[in-house]
Amino acid sequence: MDLEFSAEDEEYRQRLRAWLKENVGGGGDSPNAVMKQAEEDPEAAKDPLAGARAWPRRLHDAGYVGLAWPKEYGGQDASFTQQVICGEEMAKVRTPPLINTIGLSIIGPTLVQHGTEEQKKRFLPRILRADDLWCQGFSEPEAGSDLASLRCRAELDGDEFVVNGQKVWTSLAFLSDWMFLLVRTDPDAPKREGISYLLLDMKSPGIEVRPLRNAAGGQHFSEVFFDNVRIPKKNLVGELNKGWSIARSSLDHERSGLSGVVALEETLGRLFRMAGKVDRGQQKSVEDQSARRALAQHWIAIEGLRHLGYRTLSDQIAGKPPGAGSSVGKLFASELRQEMTRTAMDLQGPFAPIAKRSPHVVDRGRWHAAYFDALAHSIGGGTSEIMRNVIAEKVLGLPRAQED
Amino acid sequence: MDFNLSEEQEALQDMARDFLSERWPRERVREQLDARPALVDDDVWQEIVEMGWLGVAASEEAGGIGGDIMTAAVLCREAGRGVLPGPFQSSLVAAIALERSGDKELVSGLLSELIEGKTRVSVAIDESAGLYGGASVAAHASESSSGWLLSGSKFLVPDANEADVLLVAAQTPDGPGLVRVSTEAEGVTINRMDRMDGQSCAEVVFENAPVEGSALVGGKDRGASLLHDVYDIATVLLAADLLGSAEASLELTRLYAIEREQFGKPIGSFQAVSHRLANTLVDVEIGISLLYGACLALDEGRDNAGPLVSGAKAWLSDAAVDAAETALQIHGGVGFTWEYDVHLHMRRSRCNAALQGDADHHRDRVAAYMSEDWVPQIKS
Repeated sequence: MDLEFSAEDEEYRQRLRAWLKENVGGGGDSPNAVMKQAEEDPEAAKDPLAGARAWPRRLHDAGYVGLAWPKEYGGQDASFTQQVICGEEMAKVRTPPLINTIGLSIIGPTLVQHGTEEQKKRFLPRILRADDLWCQGFSEPEAGSDLASLRCRAELDGDEFVVNGQKVWTSLAFLSDWMFLLVRTDPDAPKREGISYLLLDMKSPGIEVRPLRNAAGGQHFSEVFFDNVRIPKKNLVGELNKGWSIARSSLDHERSGLSGVVALEETLGRLFRMAGKVDRGQQKSVEDQSARRALAQHWIAIEGLRHLGYRTLSDQIAGKPPGAGSSVGKLFASELRQEMTRTAMDLQGPFAPIAKRSPHVVDRGRWHAAYFDALAHSIGGGTSEIMRNVIAEKVLGLPRAQED
Repeated sequence: MDFNLSEEQEALQDMARDFLSERWPRERVREQLDARPALVDDDVWQEIVEMGWLGVAASEEAGGIGGDIMTAAVLCREAGRGVLPGPFQSSLVAAIALERSGDKELVSGLLSELIEGKTRVSVAIDESAGLYGGASVAAHASESSSGWLLSGSKFLVPDANEADVLLVAAQTPDGPGLVRVSTEAEGVTINRMDRMDGQSCAEVVFENAPVEGSALVGGKDRGASLLHDVYDIATVLLAADLLGSAEASLELTRLYAIEREQFGKPIGSFQAVSHRLANTLVDVEIGISLLYGACLALDEGRDNAGPLVSGAKAWLSDAAVDAAETALQIHGGVGFTWEYDVHLHMRRSRCNAALQGDADHHRDRVAAYMSEDWVPQIKS
């Protein structure tokens, strides 16, 4: 048993650290960088997202995105340990968010696994360079946790699918160039057997995107309506009516979650410091024994999650089939994040209600945003209830909860 | 990067599990509960000795097999799963203390005798209620014309009634550490107590009891650090026992939820049942991860070994008790019967959760580590 990375991996880590030191905080998306880019490439300067695309492009040029993807499509063919190291180091220096995250983490790996040669060549390099931004068209008003009951229809008409229906909770739909979506292509088949997986150009006629304001006040997700939207048949992923298992595999992508651990750890450090500043009764919040125990319990939980991640990673390296690690990790991490932000709200005591830009606000109001953000984590990407169903059925071998 | 048990450790785990399920049936555990104290049968104990379990973490010179703390934890986890009573765990902790003393005479003498099952040794550290570990020891050994004499009292000492020798934590002329005292010596009073799970422990009172060798185990230089390490090792092995209990409760309940039908369906298909079991599974998986992390940190002598040990003990104290309570609830009426095994795991986990520092004690230790060492080095 050991937790050592190989000398080669450690060298990789050092190179990456040096690169990040040079490249993070220097501001790829700063106004100056955007201006400079505009001089070099006037066409790109017309793109309002040029700044946001600059960072993933820089990462790609340096070889730090698409780590798990094959080299022939612009990936790196990197080892599992290098993927973990990359995630950890980027989390440590809090690199800017990647505007092409959905492409990198969901549709990219799905196409690597299930796409045609033409689809891979066409889409993968553009995902890596953030030339194309992607959104996910899965959920519908009547198909949330029961995703397989989705109704959005697609009918073949010659060489094209014609799509009618609606998607909802579509993150970043209004920015996206492409959507991958699940549609019903055989209404008579059992519900999991009549679903297909399509790739849709968001510039196609007949699409209407209506942004929804979320509970935190932002406009992160949208409703998307389709009125006779036409999709060429070559944009079908996998076989007709076999989309369900492809979607399942994209939700199952094995991840050790170790970069998430770095982020939780950073949040806990910040939380501990905050509790040391805030007055609560006759003492600082952190001096209260129950507060200290809650913070300690978070530390213990984070260490548990970290070591669970090491077990998952070890299994990946050894080529073992995925164990309980990833579903347990997702459920545990999202609930831990909520418990931590709840503690953060509690430990602010009477200062908790004070909104940003008000006098006496704690940490410029960041805990309010963190609190709301954490609440979304146990809903998106499979609710905690669905994760428990998965654990009960797949790990514990209990009989299925719901009938199909 | 290989954070899983080695093939040898997995083989040991399988062997121990098979042995206990065959040679230590639950009927015997129930009988022992009525005939306190619960001790393992002599013939089973003899087999355990012959398999070398007591020497699992001792060097080959002492007749051991040279395993590490992780390997010792593998056996303690199975002891918890198999509801094996004393004096296995107390003997194992004593063996590790003697091995780490680095004292050649003790290793070739007392440790060899312990591993061969000829002499029984237990470690006595904790004293009055709520104070745990080497740091809060008040018992003291003082110089006299006939050598060191020990006074003070120890609480909840495992298997003290059956032990020949105790390794007792005390303040001494050479500083804090462990000293050897014969249970037969003058000035030693053992008040036996039974635990809720039937196991044997005792309050031990020393009144000018003679200390063998008039010296610290491990000598003046290493005495204090040995005491500190032994307490962490004893604590992590108790956490391993708790993990075994939690896994046993979960497995019993998992099987029951598949088999038992109500409303025409297996009860495991109801989310009120399956989600509770999923939560237990999560607790167990996190517990396994923390246990491995703590054992490895001890084996590699890492700086954060102490808080990781406390983390594992705190987490598994809660998890094992929750798992047992979940098991009882989901079994319903039969879970509340003497004949079902649920209460065996509940009793054991409840006892072990409270010993060597309950969950809150260990959370306090983690909190102290956080403010002193952890927060300053976390970048925010």
